[in-house]
Amino acid sequence: MRENGKFFVGLGGVALVVTYLIWTGISETMVYYMTPIELMARVEADPTFHQVGVKVSGRVVRGSWTRADDELLHRFSVVDLEDESVRFPVEFRDMLPDTFNDTENVDVVVEGRFREDGVFEATIVLAKCGSRYEATAEELLG
Amino acid sequence: MILLGELALWIALPVGVWGAVAGFVGGRKERGDLVLSAEYSVYAVFFLLILPSAGIITAFVTDSFEYWYVANYSNRELPTFYKVAGLWAGQRGSLVFWALLLSFFSAAAVFTNRTKNREFMPYAVGVLLTISSFFLVVLLFADVNPFERLPFAPADGRGLNPQLQNYWMTIHPPTLYLGFTSFTIPFAFAMSALLSGKLDARWIVITRRWILLSWFFLANGIIFGMRWAYEMLGWGGFWFWDPVENASLLPWLTATAFLHSIQIQENRGMLKVWNMGLVTLTFLLTIFATFLTRSGLIESVHTFAENTTIAFIFLTFMGVMAGLSALLIAWRYPLLKSENQIDSFVSREGAFLFNNLILLGAAGSILWGTLFPLISEYFTGQAMAVGPPFFNRVNLPIGLALLALMGIGPVIGWRRASRRNLVKNFLMPVIVGTLVVGALFLRGVDHGMALLTFGLSAFVMTIIIVEFVKGTKARAHIEGEGHLVALYHLVSRNRRRWGGYIVHVGVVMIFTAFAGVAFNREVVQTIDPGETITIESPFGHEYALTYQGLSSPRGENMVRQAVALMTVERSGRPVEPLTAEKVLYVKWEGSPLTIVGINSYLLEDLYLILENVNDLGGAFENDAAAQRATFTVQVNVFVGWIWYGGFVLTLGGIIAMWPSRGLTRTVSRPKTKTGGKQPALAARG
Repeated sequence: MRENGKFFVGLGGVALVVTYLIWTGISETMVYYMTPIELMARVEADPTFHQVGVKVSGRVVRGSWTRADDELLHRFSVVDLEDESVRFPVEFRDMLPDTFNDTENVDVVVEGRFREDGVFEATIVLAKCGSRYEATAEELLG
Repeated sequence: MILLGELALWIALPVGVWGAVAGFVGGRKERGDLVLSAEYSVYAVFFLLILPSAGIITAFVTDSFEYWYVANYSNRELPTFYKVAGLWAGQRGSLVFWALLLSFFSAAAVFTNRTKNREFMPYAVGVLLTISSFFLVVLLFADVNPFERLPFAPADGRGLNPQLQNYWMTIHPPTLYLGFTSFTIPFAFAMSALLSGKLDARWIVITRRWILLSWFFLANGIIFGMRWAYEMLGWGGFWFWDPVENASLLPWLTATAFLHSIQIQENRGMLKVWNMGLVTLTFLLTIFATFLTRSGLIESVHTFAENTTIAFIFLTFMGVMAGLSALLIAWRYPLLKSENQIDSFVSREGAFLFNNLILLGAAGSILWGTLFPLISEYFTGQAMAVGPPFFNRVNLPIGLALLALMGIGPVIGWRRASRRNLVKNFLMPVIVGTLVVGALFLRGVDHGMALLTFGLSAFVMTIIIVEFVKGTKARAHIEGEGHLVALYHLVSRNRRRWGGYIVHVGVVMIFTAFAGVAFNREVVQTIDPGETITIESPFGHEYALTYQGLSSPRGENMVRQAVALMTVERSGRPVEPLTAEKVLYVKWEGSPLTIVGINSYLLEDLYLILENVNDLGGAFENDAAAQRATFTVQVNVFVGWIWYGGFVLTLGGIIAMWPSRGLTRTVSRPKTKTGGKQPALAARG
C-alpha cells in the first residue's frame, strides 16, 4: 500500500504539472476576443486599452484593400458584422492568406493592437475558407 | 440512379432502427432469430447506403445542377476526379459519406465475427445501428438532404473552391473519416461488454485490430493534412492549431492513450474502468470533430456553412451517448474492479499510466484552448482567445515527456523494475542521448528545447535499436538462423510489439522534425529579374536564387497564371530551378491561389513563395514591364522527416495490424477472483 500511495502522489504530481502548464499558458497568452463594436466601446471607456492585444472578428469592406509596392504592407478596412457603421482601418505587414479578398463578403479575424491613431495594427489575419460559402438559390440563378 | 439513392436513404432508416431494436431485444431475450435479423439489417443498411453515395457521384458526373448540392460544389469544367470527390467536398455529401463508411465498417465487423464472439454481437450490432440510424435521421430531417432540388436547373454550377482542387483533397478527408468512423466498432463492443456483463479483456482482444486501424487512419489523415497545408497554403507551415486541426488531433491523442492502456488490462487485469472511459471519450471526440466542423461555433478556416440545427442535434447526441455510457459504467462498476494493484511506479504499468495521463493532459489542454472563447464568454461575459503560443507552450514539455516515456515504457520491467533491469536497459541509451546533446552543443546548437528533443530522440532510438539487435541475435543463436531470417521471424512472431517499435521510430522522426522548426530561416525581398536572393541554411549551405522573370503560360481559359522562375545554386552548384505561382480561377471570384516551389533535401527544404506581384493583372497578360515581385525564401529544417516518419509509422502500423496465421497469442486470462483487497499476487501468465 505504501507504494500505491507513492504512486498516486506521482500521478497527482503529473496532473498538477499539466494543470499548472495550462493555467499559466492561458493566463500569459490569452487575448481579448471581440467584435468591432465591443472594441470601440472598450477603447472609448479606457484609453489604455490601445496597448492591449486583441483579436477582432469582422468582415472585410468591399473594395477597401490596397497594397504598397515593394514591401509587404496591406491596408484594408474591417466592418462589424451587425452594425455597418462601425468600421476601422487595418494595417498588416505580412502575407495575407489566399482566402482573403475584398470582392466577396469575407469574414476575417485580425489579431493585434488598436493604435491611438485609430488604425488596427494586425500581426495575424485569418480569413475564412471559401468552402463555407454556399450560394442561395438566387445567387445560383445569377 | 440519383432517385434510387434518395429512396435508399429513406429505406435505410427504418431498416437501421429495426435492426437496432432487434439487436437489443434479441440480446436481452436471447432470441437468436432476432439477433440474426439485426445482423442482416447491418448488411442491408450498408448495401442501401452505397446507393445514395453512388447517386451523389452520378449527379456530379452528369452535371445535374438541379440538385442544390451539386450546383454548389461543381461546374461543367471541373475534372471528373474532383467531381467524384464532390461526395465529401461539402457538408451534405460528407455526412452521407460518413454514414456509408460507418455502415461499411459495421458490416465488416459483423462479417468477421459471424462464427465467433457471438455473445458480444447482439448489443454490439444494436449500438452500431443506433449510431447509423442517428446519422440517417440527421441526413433526412436536419435540412441537409443532399438530394434537395432547386426550383430550376442552373446552366452551370458554382464550381469547387480552387483551394480544394488539389490531389490531397481526394486523400486527406477520406482518410480522416475512415479513422473517425472505424473507432465506432471498439466503442460498440465496449458498450456490448458493459451491457452483457462480459467484462474480461475479451472485448479488447476482439477489437484491438480495429483500434489500431482507426489510430492508423487518424495518424495518416493528420499527416496528409499537414502535407497539404505545407504544399498548398503557402504559409510555410504545416500546423496552425486551427480548431478543426485540433479536433482531429484530439481523438488521435486519446486513441493513442487507449492503445497503450489496453495492454495493461490485457497483461495485468487493471484499468478496466479507465479503458471504458477512454473508449467512450475517443468515440465522443470523433463525433465532436464533425460537430465542430459543422457547427460554426468556433471560428476556423475549415468551417462549413453554419447550421445551428445540426449543431444542436450533434450536441444532444453526444450528451446522450456520454450520459448512457457513464450510467453503464457506473452500473457495472463492481465487475470492473481491478485484478491487481500497482506495485511501483518504476514499472511498465507506471510508465504506461504516466503516458496515458500525459496524453490526456495534452488532449485536455488542446480542447480547453480550442473552446476557451466559448468558456470564457460563458463565465465572464467577455470572450478571450488563445492561439498557437498557448498550444506550443503547453504541448512542448508534454511532448518531451512523452518522448522520454516512449523510450522507457516498452523495456522497463512489469510490476517493479529491478535495479538490474534499469541499468541493463537504460545505461547505454542515457549515455548516447547525453553524448548527442553534448556533441550538438559543442557544435553551436544552443536551443534548449531542441537539444532536449534531439537528446531524447537519440535515447529512444538507442533503446529500440538495442531491442532489435538483442532479439535478432538471440533468435539467430537459438534457432541457428541467419540474421535477416531471424529478424523476419522475430517480427512476425510478435507483430504488435515489433510493429509498435517501428511506429515509435516514425514518431521519433516526426518529433525531431518538429524541433527543426527552431532553426528555420527566412528572407523576404522585392526584386526585378536578374537579381538574386541569397540565404544560408543552418547546415552551412549557401543558396542563391536568381529571378528569371514571370511568365503566363496559356492554360485553360478559366485559369490565369503568373509563374515566377528562379534558377538555384546550392553552395555554388546549380540545382533544380524553382517555380512559384499565383493562379487565378476566373469563375471563382476572389484572390489568386499561391502555389509554392519546394526543393527537398535530406535535412532541409528550400521553400519559395511568390508573395506579391506589383502588377499582377499585367503579369497575367504577359506584360514584360510587370515583373517586379516580392518573394519569401525559407529554409525549413528537417521538415521532410515528418513525411519520412509518416512512412515509417505507416509501415509499423501495417506490421502491427497484419493478420497473423496460426498461433495467435490471445490473451484471455482467467479472471482471478480477488476480493479486491488481496495483495497483488496474481500469477504472471
